Amino acid sequence: MFSSVPVGLAQNVSATSPAAQPLPRSASTQTYAPDLVAAGRTRFAAACGFCHGPEATGGSSGPDLTRSAVVAADEHGDRIGALVRTGRATAGMPAFPALSDADLAAIAAFIHEQKTKAEAETGDRRSVEPEDLVTGNARAGRRYFATACASCHSADGDLAGVASRYEGLDLLRNMLYPRGPRPTATATVTTRDGATVTGTLAYRDEFTIALTTAAGEYRSWPVDRVRLEIRDPLQAHFEQLGRYTDATMHDVLAYLQTLRQDTAR
Amino acid sequence: MNGMAAVGPRGVLCTWVFALATSGGGVALAQTGGFDPARLLAPSSDTWPTFHGDYSGQRHSRLTQITPDNVRTLTLAWAFQTDAEDAIKATPILVDGILYVTTPDNLWAIDARSGREIWHYQHPPNNAFHIGHRGAAVYGNSVFLTTPDTHLLALDRFTGAVQWNVEIVDSSRGYWSTNAPLVIRNHVIVGVSGDFDNLPGVLRAFDPATGRPQWTFYSTPPAGTPGSISGGATGGQMWTTGTFDPDLNTLYVGTGNPTPVLNGGARPGDNRWTCSIVALNPDTGELKWGFQVSPHDTHDWDASEVPVLVDANVGGKARKLLLQASRNGYYVVLDRATGQSVLTTPFATTNWALGVGADGRPIPNPAKEPARDGRLVAPDEGGATNYRSPSFAAESGLFVVSAADAYGLYFFKPEYGRYGWAGADYTVASRGELRALDFATGQVRWRHDLHGRAASAGVLTTASGLTFTGDAGNSALALRTSDGTTLWHTGIGRVANSPITYELDGRQYVVIGGGSAVYAFALPEP
Repeated sequence: MFSSVPVGLAQNVSATSPAAQPLPRSASTQTYAPDLVAAGRTRFAAACGFCHGPEATGGSSGPDLTRSAVVAADEHGDRIGALVRTGRATAGMPAFPALSDADLAAIAAFIHEQKTKAEAETGDRRSVEPEDLVTGNARAGRRYFATACASCHSADGDLAGVASRYEGLDLLRNMLYPRGPRPTATATVTTRDGATVTGTLAYRDEFTIALTTAAGEYRSWPVDRVRLEIRDPLQAHFEQLGRYTDATMHDVLAYLQTLRQDTAR
Repeated sequence: MNGMAAVGPRGVLCTWVFALATSGGGVALAQTGGFDPARLLAPSSDTWPTFHGDYSGQRHSRLTQITPDNVRTLTLAWAFQTDAEDAIKATPILVDGILYVTTPDNLWAIDARSGREIWHYQHPPNNAFHIGHRGAAVYGNSVFLTTPDTHLLALDRFTGAVQWNVEIVDSSRGYWSTNAPLVIRNHVIVGVSGDFDNLPGVLRAFDPATGRPQWTFYSTPPAGTPGSISGGATGGQMWTTGTFDPDLNTLYVGTGNPTPVLNGGARPGDNRWTCSIVALNPDTGELKWGFQVSPHDTHDWDASEVPVLVDANVGGKARKLLLQASRNGYYVVLDRATGQSVLTTPFATTNWALGVGADGRPIPNPAKEPARDGRLVAPDEGGATNYRSPSFAAESGLFVVSAADAYGLYFFKPEYGRYGWAGADYTVASRGELRALDFATGQVRWRHDLHGRAASAGVLTTASGLTFTGDAGNSALALRTSDGTTLWHTGIGRVANSPITYELDGRQYVVIGGGSAVYAFALPEP
């Protein structure tokens, strides 16, 4: 059926893995009543826990909130509340418009309590540390980059200093499939009377296309009434996902990790 | 627990069967009237009386009033707005002109002719996960509801009054339930969920008249069971609704992922019966056979997808088959009398297996197990498909499934431990497509772009040649089953359930969830 089992990657990682990357620290020292935190744990588990994990330390679709910049900057729910009410559609987070002020206050208290605990912790948490991700060969990655990525990207152009803007897991995920700010797809729509409109792609499904024009206007058309030309840079990223091996992925990451601000020309 | 051990016919799994006299459910029905479960054997077209519409899981209707030629005139008959935060993920159940629709902690009885609320039951607030709810079930004058805090309730079908309320398992240990129960004769069969704790996989049957427990099937034994065949794994929860072959008297259920979820080293071996299709005796819970779709899973790929039962002539021979498009990206066809493999072939992008063994099981590549520096794995945790129902269009032999090509990053290091998730994983990218497979070969006959990530809608097909589903945006769709061409669509919000259809007063309705509302469509009245 198969002749050999591919050999796993060499693990070029020190045995002890101190949490080198500190959490973003809370902007202010905040204390919350234990009753409020306990109520928040209950509400959080029911409303948020499946995506963010019951301890707010992250799940498959929701990030570790103890490492969130929004949480670090938040005081008594002033930022968390608005975000929870409106959601983050681009990141796949639903809105919770019906949560009461009291529920939001309790949820914010619980998240802050978890963050305070996480700041005091030494390890054993289910998150990915930057030093976990230094197994690749930067030189091999540079060669791979030249063949697979260089038609759109360059180390001294758009990616100059990229490792100073992103690091660790964030750099890896953005390398594989840019998350934010996403590269914008652009499109040209030709209407039946021959007029053309070009802009960034605001929405596209089987039936509707919408553009944001250079003037900042939103315009939409039924797909079957117009001619479309869409240029989506993410398409190449998706296709590339099927070409990486784990080794080449880590090599390219190692190469990108060398592109720090101080080394950028 | 007052259980006795029983060994399955293949001598491989212990089930703990409660020794209980069978209750006289049929006698009670004869006295009180109400919905006789014998009607589930051949449901009439003015009902959708069980999660899949019937026991086969084909989600295929004989109704032909709505056709490829007239579907473009389909119009709104009524809408029911729950005014709740939760999306409708449930399949509505229709009996005697009343629709039963659920969200976590909630059950509404709705007049199926008008969309008017008849009654609404709300379960008391509780701390368990409120991730979704799949639907209700009916028997006699009862409608059954599972709750996030793992209770099973019987409510009066006409008033919503609680008839009985039993605990399925102890939710404080980390279980929750989203399950649409399955009624087989005088058994209400319910499953639970639980990924963040090391819990045995539990499926239980209760007496529909009294709520008395009848049997418990464990897909994995309780932690610490000596000589366990699971290799130390717990998990394998049975959170989706099974299918049933009355001739073989066999219940088919998909089992979920093992726990600890991403730490495969903590549970060596295949981890039976996680990520499997299990065939059970519905009267005793005894295992007849099991087939592991993902041996030694380390990617959360529950084999919970619908085990669709199809009788077909394959290679000149009449076969009783079971079809599953599984979350791990493989389409499997089994002989459902024996559990022997007929076909295993990918229907979406996969990169985690070294091949398929002679027994039809994919062979996991150890190099794709989660690792400290991450592994790029296809599909992602959400999978090549998931709980959303597929449909088997009997006339064309097409198995229509909402699929996705997806990639995820999987991490494990010993510091993550041996409990619950025990790892980290992240979706990188996912693209949804409706795919129609030739049921006998698994070959993709057509693809329909759903324009986004994996969609959440299930699929319904009808004998007139129509396929109903939803895309990744906010549209409900009707496609021509033979080639996937769009014939009708309407923007009703994201479709997160599986459509159903029925005929009342000579009018065919198609009912689809959109956001937190339920919409009924029909042809314009003459």
